Amino acid sequence: MPFLDPAEAVERFLEPDSGLGVGGMQLSAAPMALVREVVRRRIPVARLITSPSASIQADLLIAAGLVREIVSPYVGFEYLGLAPGFRREVEGGRLRVLEIDEGSLTHALWAGSGGVPFVPVPPGLDLTDIPAVDPEMFRRVTDPFTGQERWAVRSLRPDTVFIACAVADEAANVAFDRFPYTDRIMALAARRLVVQVEEVVPAGALADRAPGSTLPSFLIDAVVVAPGGCHPTGFPGRYEADDEALGSYLRAARDPETFGRHLAEIVGEDAGGER
Amino acid sequence: MSEWSVTELMAAVMSRELRDGEVVVMGAVPALPMAACRLARATHAPNLEFIVGGSGTVSPEPDRLPLGSCGGDLAPAATTLPLPDVVLLEGRGDAFDVFCAGGLQIDAHGNCNLICVGEWERPKLRGPGTVGLPFLPNTKRSILYTQSHTPRTFVERVDFVSGPGHPTGADEDRPYRKEGPSLVVTPLATLDFDDSGRMRLRSVHPGVAPQDVYAATGFELAPGPEPTTTPPPTDEELAVLRSFDPDGILRR
Repeated sequence: MPFLDPAEAVERFLEPDSGLGVGGMQLSAAPMALVREVVRRRIPVARLITSPSASIQADLLIAAGLVREIVSPYVGFEYLGLAPGFRREVEGGRLRVLEIDEGSLTHALWAGSGGVPFVPVPPGLDLTDIPAVDPEMFRRVTDPFTGQERWAVRSLRPDTVFIACAVADEAANVAFDRFPYTDRIMALAARRLVVQVEEVVPAGALADRAPGSTLPSFLIDAVVVAPGGCHPTGFPGRYEADDEALGSYLRAARDPETFGRHLAEIVGEDAGGER
Repeated sequence: MSEWSVTELMAAVMSRELRDGEVVVMGAVPALPMAACRLARATHAPNLEFIVGGSGTVSPEPDRLPLGSCGGDLAPAATTLPLPDVVLLEGRGDAFDVFCAGGLQIDAHGNCNLICVGEWERPKLRGPGTVGLPFLPNTKRSILYTQSHTPRTFVERVDFVSGPGHPTGADEDRPYRKEGPSLVVTPLATLDFDDSGRMRLRSVHPGVAPQDVYAATGFELAPGPEPTTTPPPTDEELAVLRSFDPDGILRR
């Protein structure tokens, strides 16, 4: 059975020093039960890849000193402010940023999910300073049809991807609710996929869901049932972001000493399935 | 005239800039551009549509303005685009008319920067990242807005171009380039751009002197027509804005 608890799922499917993709957008649907397990086990991540806008699922791993480099168009806390761990580590020169925008990231994930090695990117990026500082992700190519020079982005295939979905059925197929964000294409690009879900429904209960809002179990290595497991981010339609808890994180993470104490509380959060 | 907040005034100004039938996109912390779009729809632009950030919701009409752009409080919306579809359409270049954007820094030619202050390799301030701003020149036009009108935000040249503004030199190789930023809205003033693409003062908000704006801007604004006073929100505009802002997000 692919139903595992967070500890087993992380142990079996996240190799130390590999590439990890994390889903969730802004302050919604971050797979925190899985991310906290990575922190608890102190598994180093060679490359963290995020959705177009990550928050605590990236900042917590970074602030805990577990991330060597990051591919992300945004790490922040939206209306609550900047990301303290990300700021400190980048400003201190300890975290390598592979600069990318949401367009290139999305195309890179499509490409990864379809076996395409690189994609010429749409107009606009060429007028920014981004590709020039990121030769790891961007190179010049010649359009074979027009002879025009363009930027291309390298495809992305995270070794492991963690996303949060609304439900799994008993056969470990999963379904998104209203907002799939880019989590579904990140899942398609994954080499190993672990899905955290809020709820389990009977086998067959997802049969009427629209194609494109589900993922079949053969693409999924493990399903982790973690009701409320996106906390302190929200899960649209089920619970809102916990601004108070996010605020405590932001205050604690400013200072490495207070952060150490806070970290112990955070990683204890899932113990016994309560919070 | 009722009492109004400067953010309500900014919403009214942005709303008046939007035209009927346009499609508007916005990013994180959407309350202000979303209020402007809803106000426009309720007044002069009933066929305007807007897409709220990562949610992909199309013209949502929740009872209260949301703080975030991706939450479950962005309902009801008649339709929702999956986020990858929004990104595809941004690249296509003819689906969206107006991009509402801002930055840690905004410069004299309307370039925006959400990446860093100082050197990129070792920044003094690391910003969150650029998200969708590289699509700015690929959208018909953009409206820039910020709650911070200071010399640190308004600089002659951004430290890192993450959202391109108007060209400063020859630009024949970029036939896709569209109108670029048309308006900048701040708590002090509205600004636009002269024919060379340099920012100039268009109007000062009530109670603000042009001198205050010059002092708060870290570069020399281009000369232009005598600045006017921004018309404050009308009672009708305020009534609409407050109809979907019972929490007073725009009055904080």
